[in-house]
Amino acid sequence: MLNILVLGLGQCGNRILDAMNREAFGRGGAFAKYYTRQKFPASVKTIAINTAINDLKGLVDTRAKDRLHVPHLHGVGANRTLGKRVFEDNKEIIMSEIDKRGAFDLIFIITSAAGGSGSSFAPLLVRELKETYTNAPVICITVLPFREEGSIFLQNAAFCLKDIIDEKPTGVLLVDNQYLKKYAGDIKSAYDKINNTTARRLLFLIEALNSEMLMVTDLGDLKTVMNGGIGIGTMGFYEASKDSTIKSAILGSFKPSGLLFPTNVYKEGARAMLIIKGDKKYLNLDLITKTIEELSVEVGQVFKGVLVQRGRPRVLSLFTLNSVPELEKLYAAAAEAIRFERDRQDQSKSQLDSAFSHIEDLEPIY
Amino acid sequence: MNGCRVLMVVVAAALLMLLFPMTAAGVETTNVTIGANGYIVLNNDIYIELLDVGSDMGWSAQVHFYSYQDSVGTKKTLYIGDISTSYTSGSGMTIDVTLDSAFSNGAAFVIESSKKLYVTERHAGKVETEAVTVPKLTITRTIDPNSAEIGQTVKVTLTIKNTGNGTATDIMLDEGTIAKTYKDGCPSEIDDIAAGATERIEYDLKIGDEVQPGMREMPASVLNYESESGVSDSTQSQSNILEIILETVLLPELTISIDPINYVVTCGDDVPMVITITNVGNATSEKVYVKGDLHPGVRLKGGELEPVYESIKPDKSEEYEVTLVADEEGEHVVEMKVMWADEEETAVFEFRAEKSGLEKYYVYIIAAIPILLILLWLIKRRREYSY
Repeated sequence: MLNILVLGLGQCGNRILDAMNREAFGRGGAFAKYYTRQKFPASVKTIAINTAINDLKGLVDTRAKDRLHVPHLHGVGANRTLGKRVFEDNKEIIMSEIDKRGAFDLIFIITSAAGGSGSSFAPLLVRELKETYTNAPVICITVLPFREEGSIFLQNAAFCLKDIIDEKPTGVLLVDNQYLKKYAGDIKSAYDKINNTTARRLLFLIEALNSEMLMVTDLGDLKTVMNGGIGIGTMGFYEASKDSTIKSAILGSFKPSGLLFPTNVYKEGARAMLIIKGDKKYLNLDLITKTIEELSVEVGQVFKGVLVQRGRPRVLSLFTLNSVPELEKLYAAAAEAIRFERDRQDQSKSQLDSAFSHIEDLEPIY
Repeated sequence: MNGCRVLMVVVAAALLMLLFPMTAAGVETTNVTIGANGYIVLNNDIYIELLDVGSDMGWSAQVHFYSYQDSVGTKKTLYIGDISTSYTSGSGMTIDVTLDSAFSNGAAFVIESSKKLYVTERHAGKVETEAVTVPKLTITRTIDPNSAEIGQTVKVTLTIKNTGNGTATDIMLDEGTIAKTYKDGCPSEIDDIAAGATERIEYDLKIGDEVQPGMREMPASVLNYESESGVSDSTQSQSNILEIILETVLLPELTISIDPINYVVTCGDDVPMVITITNVGNATSEKVYVKGDLHPGVRLKGGELEPVYESIKPDKSEEYEVTLVADEEGEHVVEMKVMWADEEETAVFEFRAEKSGLEKYYVYIIAAIPILLILLWLIKRRREYSY
């Protein structure tokens, strides 16, 4: 059984982690935690880490002992520089808390790239984890912000993602709030849906990696996939309808509507992993193999895993990309925002200096 | 010369005193004896004539009193022992006459008067002074004991005493009796009893089975007898009361009692009780068996419930203690039976067993335990997920 560590950093990472914990209770609803235990598909240890205690208190399905408050007032206020310092100051505590969970075969770090604690902690944590758990792949699930959330978030997202890539994790799976927002109504519903979707796909992946399959794919395949391209990827998902064929289900998981980050996998894909679950009657292995062979021509090496499970076919696709045009747009927007922000700061400072100049040669008369 | 005169007067006076006996001041008394059909004259006034002497109903004397101015006078019959008979002459002199003794042909009288008495004339006839012997019997009767059971025999004692001066002869005893009682050794004739002698007669009186118990009066004993002169007389004793009670049967009789400590106990707690067997009969009871009947829901915890006693003497008790336990709630009955000979006696002890204070709430506690566990579980889980 795989020992998997899932770390949720910052508010966003905490909530996705909480959604994973909730999913692990099954279909019991909000009260499931009172009468049943979490049933993870593998030996999964979760820790929600945050400097904002209120964010930790807001979690519902994560055990208290799995919530680690890194003491710094109530968060770092989206200040990554401050966040990095807080991490360094509390690194021993954080690593000690992780160390208590034992050894791991796979580590997921879930974080928003835009926030304070998560975005500042994630790169540093990748570094520490790689040093501590040398054999465990470290995969970052990085959530990109709404573009209109503000210049600070864009700036943080740009620098965070860069910092993460610089630390060379096994891979980075992107989740784009901006892209997924369209599938929900209001902001809260959008966040909940994104969190739940991300959580389910991660659990889907973990279950597949830890199960005996009809056609096998494993952690080694995952590492190979994540090493493909520029090490950045995303996940797609598709649940077949009653009359769908397994082929249409596989191809459905490549559709943009099922991806967590907007990309054209046929064009940008480097490597891929397909995990197919469903009733055996739906699992035509010849058709699956043939379909994947066809896909391999377009998206590079495709690893496949087939897991017999009740229900209609569900397909999780995981890609790494050779290029990420959407990131170009994000970084361009971020740079624009930074420049705009700097100009405004300069302008404000000039206005303030001008205002102060009026009393430069004066003394108070009282 | 003068001395001689004085001496003559004194002598004369002494002679007069001898001739006319004097009595104490105020009352003059004289004794006279008169023969049958004889008479005397007192103070030249009163005649006392003895007409006859009789012995029909005791000795008596028929006397005719008359005087010069009362020639008719009065005739009286005087009895020995009676009060005096008065007679007042025509001149107003009064005498009181009592018959002192009687003879076959005369009688002796005691005469009293306020005047000095002297016999002025005597025509007393011939009196034979030989005394008449008269027996006088008294009889007393005792019954010992005076309380007896049916079937018992009591002793009756007759004590006959002759207080007269003559021997009582032909003594016939007519002994009173109580119905359904039987005399054993009671004589109907008794030997002569000399004057001053006492005769003691004892006999057994058996109380028959058919006698009604209660206070029974035994009629007086009657003695009929005669004097040696053939004068008949009789006397009788007092009647006696004899209490007749039912025959006492010697039988043992046992009672059994249960002395509980509590009448309301708690289920599962000890119920001590003391059982006492007492012989209230008048005979020793041999081989006494005790049997106990414990109803369902009650069990013996300590002590011997059914002991056996070799004997229990009258007015003696045997006491032992047992401890019971009631396992079930409700009214319980313990029945103890003592058996001896062909008899038996039963004592019943009823008590109520209640559930303990905690036991009353067992249902609720049992129901509450899972709820509490669930609650504790929920709290635990809530705390586990609260931060």
